[in-house]
Amino acid sequence: MSMYIVSSHEIKQLAEALRASYDVYGPQVDPQTQQVFFDQLGDVEALNLEAPIPSMPVKEILFPQMERVLQYKYDAEAQSVEMSKPYAERPKVLFGLRPCDLSGILVLDRFFLGQEFVDDVYLTHRRQCLLISNTCLNPFPQCFCVCTHSGPDADEGFDLDLTKLKDGYLVRVGSEKGQAIADERNWKPAQPHHLSEHKAVVDRCIDLFPEMATDNKAWVSRVMNRITTGFIKSETWEYIGDQCFECGACSFVCPTCSCFNVEDSRMCDGECERLRTHDSCSFEGYARMAGDHNPRQPVEDRRNKRFFCKLSYPQSKKYLRPGCVGCGRCQWVCPGDIGLPNVVQYIRREITE
Amino acid sequence: MKLMNYKACVCNLCGTGCGQFLKTDGRKVFGVAPLIAHPVSKGKLCIRGWHANELLSTNERITTPLIRENGQLREASYEEAIALVVERMRQFDGAAGEIGILASARSSNEDSFALGRLAREVFGTTVRGIGAEAGHRKSMASLEHAFGYPGAHGSLTSIDKADYILVIGTDITRQNPVIGGNIHAAQRRGARVVTLSSSRTQIAKLSTKHFQQKPGTKGLLVNALAKALLAIRTANRERRANVDQMPGHTEYVASLRSISSVALERASGIRYEEIEEEAKFLEQAKSIVFLFSSGISGLDRPTIDAITNLALLTDRMDHEHSAVIPVAGISNLQGGFDMGVSGEPGNSVFKALAEPDSPIRALFVIDHDDGIIRDKERISKLDFVAYSCAYRNAFMDLAHVVFPLPAYNETDGTYTAADKRVQITRKNVDNPHGVLPGWALFQRLAVASGKAWGYQDAAGVFADIAAKVPGYADLSHELLGKGFGQHWNPKAFPNSRQRKFNAINIEYWESPTTPEFPFALMIGKAQHYWHQNNLMRKTIVPRREYDQTLWLYPQGYIEISPEDAANLKVRDKWLVNVCSSTGTCMKIAVKISPDVQNGTAYIPYFIKNMISDFLIPYENAYAAGEESVIPIKIQEA
Ligand code: SF4
Ligand code: SF4
Ligand code: SF4
Ligand code: SF4
Repeated sequence: MSMYIVSSHEIKQLAEALRASYDVYGPQVDPQTQQVFFDQLGDVEALNLEAPIPSMPVKEILFPQMERVLQYKYDAEAQSVEMSKPYAERPKVLFGLRPCDLSGILVLDRFFLGQEFVDDVYLTHRRQCLLISNTCLNPFPQCFCVCTHSGPDADEGFDLDLTKLKDGYLVRVGSEKGQAIADERNWKPAQPHHLSEHKAVVDRCIDLFPEMATDNKAWVSRVMNRITTGFIKSETWEYIGDQCFECGACSFVCPTCSCFNVEDSRMCDGECERLRTHDSCSFEGYARMAGDHNPRQPVEDRRNKRFFCKLSYPQSKKYLRPGCVGCGRCQWVCPGDIGLPNVVQYIRREITE
Repeated sequence: MKLMNYKACVCNLCGTGCGQFLKTDGRKVFGVAPLIAHPVSKGKLCIRGWHANELLSTNERITTPLIRENGQLREASYEEAIALVVERMRQFDGAAGEIGILASARSSNEDSFALGRLAREVFGTTVRGIGAEAGHRKSMASLEHAFGYPGAHGSLTSIDKADYILVIGTDITRQNPVIGGNIHAAQRRGARVVTLSSSRTQIAKLSTKHFQQKPGTKGLLVNALAKALLAIRTANRERRANVDQMPGHTEYVASLRSISSVALERASGIRYEEIEEEAKFLEQAKSIVFLFSSGISGLDRPTIDAITNLALLTDRMDHEHSAVIPVAGISNLQGGFDMGVSGEPGNSVFKALAEPDSPIRALFVIDHDDGIIRDKERISKLDFVAYSCAYRNAFMDLAHVVFPLPAYNETDGTYTAADKRVQITRKNVDNPHGVLPGWALFQRLAVASGKAWGYQDAAGVFADIAAKVPGYADLSHELLGKGFGQHWNPKAFPNSRQRKFNAINIEYWESPTTPEFPFALMIGKAQHYWHQNNLMRKTIVPRREYDQTLWLYPQGYIEISPEDAANLKVRDKWLVNVCSSTGTCMKIAVKISPDVQNGTAYIPYFIKNMISDFLIPYENAYAAGEESVIPIKIQEA
């Protein structure tokens, strides 16, 4: 793997150069609210690689909350249907991905592309995507990627990976695509001491994680064990279920949640459009089957579904990693108190009591 | 640098006023994100807020003015439709009560203010009202008497700091979920959260203490709590000079003293000793927040008076983290009252429509997109109905002229949340059909009637609001655009330092149930939907959730306790005959719920669509909201 040491200026130049042939997305801070979004860059000056973890996961770009996936018109007389594809392929750069979000994309890749059916919409957005990750120098509140092997630095899946060091950014190349970009630029090769500095930076970041996160590390695997074997008391699930307000937020902000709903709606001129929207296992209607059977009607049964999905072995086998990447967003947005790290705590409490 | 695709605004789907980002390219809305820095919602949204993009993308929009011709609505230009409305309205005598205005609790302050001017200056009428206002007027009257101004005392953010939170009656995790979440968070940080509710609602489960009183006795219980608080002070020989001197104190205390613990227990099912225990916590709390629902399913006046009185009696209302908040279900109900479009006693449009011999002949209506249109018969017989709304709905069938309106993100506007926080939403999407904002439409109507208002934009309308509406003087669009809104200023009201107790009457509510009609039927709320049904029905996921209940219980449902179900020998989803004491009957499915007390039964509000015939004789009880009780019997079908 080749490595380079690159100045901040050269990083901006790279982003600017890529804008010629790609839509470039990156972390930006909204001036009014100080909230961070991973959004398209109108100007590379807005790119802020030191911004905290974006408030919404990067999956918004590849698998948006709501998307038109088909347009069709049925002509009853001619008995013919005209169909068109409203989504288009555009080369993209995701510039400055936090490692947890990168892991999230890898999970979504497994879900949408790695099984029997390949999802054409996702593939279209994903196909020409350049992934540039960015090592976290310090954890943000709620982060616990150290428990889920998804941060604070990236170890796979990127084309280029950035780490801010004293002399500039250490750029690690992770793919041929990444190498091709590096080859076009006149970057200085990195020295061995840069690599040890990289390790030191990551170690320091890990040390900075709050005790609860590092402490939870061992517990995550014990909790996974419990969840997989079904040895969680129903009172614990009820305690969790009572706190669920059924808002769906935890699924919408989770970089790995992939559930969606499909709905056709008619427009005024007889044309129809098919919308795909995010969905959530917290909703009663999500699990309902034909014939009115609903295996997960009570809210606590729906709620534990989420944690089976994030923290059980069969699911991890499917994704080749735990379904949770430790970003902590579900903890931020939950009006109850049942973000994933807390659920680990609740189950841990049950184990130790 | 502004973000390309995320625009901050305020969720318009209930009176909490949560901060929201819309993901939009300026033409369509693709998604929603919560706004982390918002002082009330702090990065949380409920199912409605999270799906605002679906509502804002619906195809069921009104896109152009329409005129009824030969029974059919046809497209028309603004010029033509405005000219027609002006001409028709001229034929009615507003001063004689021939024209009525039905304002909307979702409209922006700018729209409601301009509508108020249109009513007064152009139509010359004072007959008006806001949908869902009945309950809120009681809250306003009680608060105005107690605190000197018609609005909440304190801020919703007090929930995050207060020592003690009392939630009276409302199913708040359903109606205003983000407030519910904040209360839950307060409980976790150690605040004492107490809920008074006849059924075991989610907030009751999440509270430190739940008083599950018998129906109809919330006010009595609040008064009993006051009595116990007073007793503690007497025992401690503690005097609160400022409270003692408030007008109404002597009468209030005398009424409290008359509460008999035996009668209290018989009526409410709660022992006075338990209330005495609770009063100790109340006495120790330095900051106290009272929350109750206001609006269409709000409390009755005596219960609200009991609450405001107890608030004053605690003597903690000057603490910066104390509050008394009538929690509005609809986004700008408070703003509608502030802008003066609510119907005052004597000129209520609802009364005009309900009384068969009232002079009303024409109606100008905004929104009113509930599934059920009250007084539909009467409205359909009026000489002229003009209607404006963003979305297509049943009221269009009654209208002679229809105007489109922009959705809440298609125009600049301010909204006043339940706690008087005035917030601005800036236009972030162009209305594809170029429809006029409400205030601009009303101004065009005024101009066509020969009146010039001279508003250039919504900010200009707001400047006029600041000049004329008490409490709004310090506010402007520019200022509101800088942060997350600002509470309007109660000091603008001359009586705002003059606190007074409301007069109360101690009544031991007698359940109207009889051996023959042993169940007390109440109107409850179901998950997500209540009166915003018609908006939620234009979404995808929330609509599906709403339909869940209907799929499982296509005939609607009545919730009863497991024990009652066992006694009746019925199981979940079985059909039963429900008969009221006035003789109306209906067939409905049973839903067994452990959260319901024995002897009580709930029908969700939205099922009124299906059971309106059953409820017709109870229209008054129904309007009384949460406290209304209908005696019924339940038999196997
Ligand atoms: S479960 Fe929660 S912490 Fe884990 S990846 Fe999803 S949002 Fe992040
Ligand atoms: S969870 Fe880890 S990888 Fe993600 S932002 Fe936080 S520290 Fe970085
Ligand atoms: S964010 Fe919390 S309250 Fe909302 S659905 Fe998820 S677990 Fe339930
Ligand atoms: S609580 Fe009300 S304001 Fe907040 S997101 Fe829900 S509907 Fe919108």
